[in-house]
Amino acid sequence: MIFRLENVSHRYSDGTLALDDVSLEFERGERIALLGTNGSGKTTLLNHLNGILKPTSGNIYFEDKPLAYDAKSLLNLRKRVGFVFQDPNDQLFASSVKQDVAFGPLNLGYTPEHVKQLVDDALTTVGMTQFADKPPHFLSGGQKKRVALAGVLAMQPEVIIMDEPTSSLDPLAASDILHLLLRLNKENGITLLLATHDVDIVPLFANKLYILDKGEVVSEGTPKESFSKTELIRKANLRSPRIGHLFEVLKKEDALPVADELPLTISEARKEILRLIDEAVKESKKRQQ
Amino acid sequence: MSHSDLYAEVDRSAYTNALAKCSPITKTFFALSSLILTVSAQSILVPITIFVICTILILGLAKVKSHLYLDLFRYPTLMITLSCVIIALFGSGAPLIQISLPWTTLSLLGGISFSVNTFFRVEGALSCLFFLVLTTSITDLCILLRKAHVPRVLVEISLLIYRYIFVFLEVSEKMNTAQKLRLRPSGWIKRIRSIALLAGSLFIRTLEQGERTLVAMNARGYDGTIRVLEDFPAPRKITLLGIVIFDFVFVILIFLTVNFGVLMK
Repeated sequence: MIFRLENVSHRYSDGTLALDDVSLEFERGERIALLGTNGSGKTTLLNHLNGILKPTSGNIYFEDKPLAYDAKSLLNLRKRVGFVFQDPNDQLFASSVKQDVAFGPLNLGYTPEHVKQLVDDALTTVGMTQFADKPPHFLSGGQKKRVALAGVLAMQPEVIIMDEPTSSLDPLAASDILHLLLRLNKENGITLLLATHDVDIVPLFANKLYILDKGEVVSEGTPKESFSKTELIRKANLRSPRIGHLFEVLKKEDALPVADELPLTISEARKEILRLIDEAVKESKKRQQ
Repeated sequence: MSHSDLYAEVDRSAYTNALAKCSPITKTFFALSSLILTVSAQSILVPITIFVICTILILGLAKVKSHLYLDLFRYPTLMITLSCVIIALFGSGAPLIQISLPWTTLSLLGGISFSVNTFFRVEGALSCLFFLVLTTSITDLCILLRKAHVPRVLVEISLLIYRYIFVFLEVSEKMNTAQKLRLRPSGWIKRIRSIALLAGSLFIRTLEQGERTLVAMNARGYDGTIRVLEDFPAPRKITLLGIVIFDFVFVILIFLTVNFGVLMK
């Protein structure tokens, strides 16, 4: 277990209960989606995982050890758990791309040569090498997001937490970021934890989905399992991915024999449609005989 | 060109000019030594020569757009011209014109040589500074300042201000448009009121931005010092030597022209 949260609650100083008795856990190498509407507590939850916020009650364990909040432990935690913020303008504070990516590794006390290597590697990974000497205000939204990710990658984290990875990005930039994250998960074994309210991207990357509603975890499981609970999804003010929704309607309104676990991605839908056609063909052949 | 556009253009030029990859040490050394030569010269010959050389470097070597370079000169030149007129009229020195009034005598144009001298010194000095500003990025300059043992806090604050100027420039433009779209009232007083509103909410935004940036910096292990990767091309010794010789020639020129008399003395 790389992270385990045990009955974590958080109450802000103004009295709002942002997290209510949240318990969850995930393994190394997993791809976890945290889905919820605005104000459901996603960001608050993420902020607990690298020590930005302390739970008002409950415990957080990183590799089975409770989180410590002294400067040294926090630095160690933040080296291993990277956080990419929603608005890249919050994160990119340095005057050039290279300097910004170097900030994390320099704080870890590495030698300039080592830092340069890490910066080069991180920028290569996100495909932003040619912008190394440019200031952040020269970049587009998608490019800023990639640089923000590089700033975290340069610290060589084991877990990457990303708040709204695709918000305010155009479709191409959003899919680029997702593919990049999936590659990091596959090739470097980095554990991914993405908070989002974009239901359509969840089945594309997640192998585990937590649904948050008003600070509580209301569902946990694979995306297929969770999105099959249509009542619950609606109650949390969310919806199924478009494709899942389509098959739900086909099943309910048109009585098509769609599988119980609704297909959620294009490739799943394709398989399901081919299967349905196949069965229909068999059926009609039987009838002819 | 509006003011913010001009700043953005200068900033763009610092990153994209043909000398951007040249070592900032060389560029700063050249700009500062030329600046000192310009302001210490007694005759107008030295500032004029330096002005010509800097202009050639900026337009020819660094390939900065000429309209940008001219635009930069507009306001300072306007100001210095006005000042020089005053100096020329009322400066000390043997007056060229005297007007007797019943209660006093006006001595005019006594400061004309000093005024001409000042004008060319300022223009020469400006060209040196514009050379630095148009060819060297803020990042490089700040690394240099740090190497020169300028207090850390100053350098760090300048870097942060530099970065967030552009963020808030964008925010203020958006807010301005939003006000316009909601039919901002015309008329002086009302206009001032809506600008005050804009400034107020912009100020609150900066505070919030500060909070969020601090959190994000903490998340990457910020401990109170902003460390910077000191990484830029080392100066070429031959170029530095060239600048030293160049400066030396000018020092000799300064001594030779101490008594040079174009409107001097």
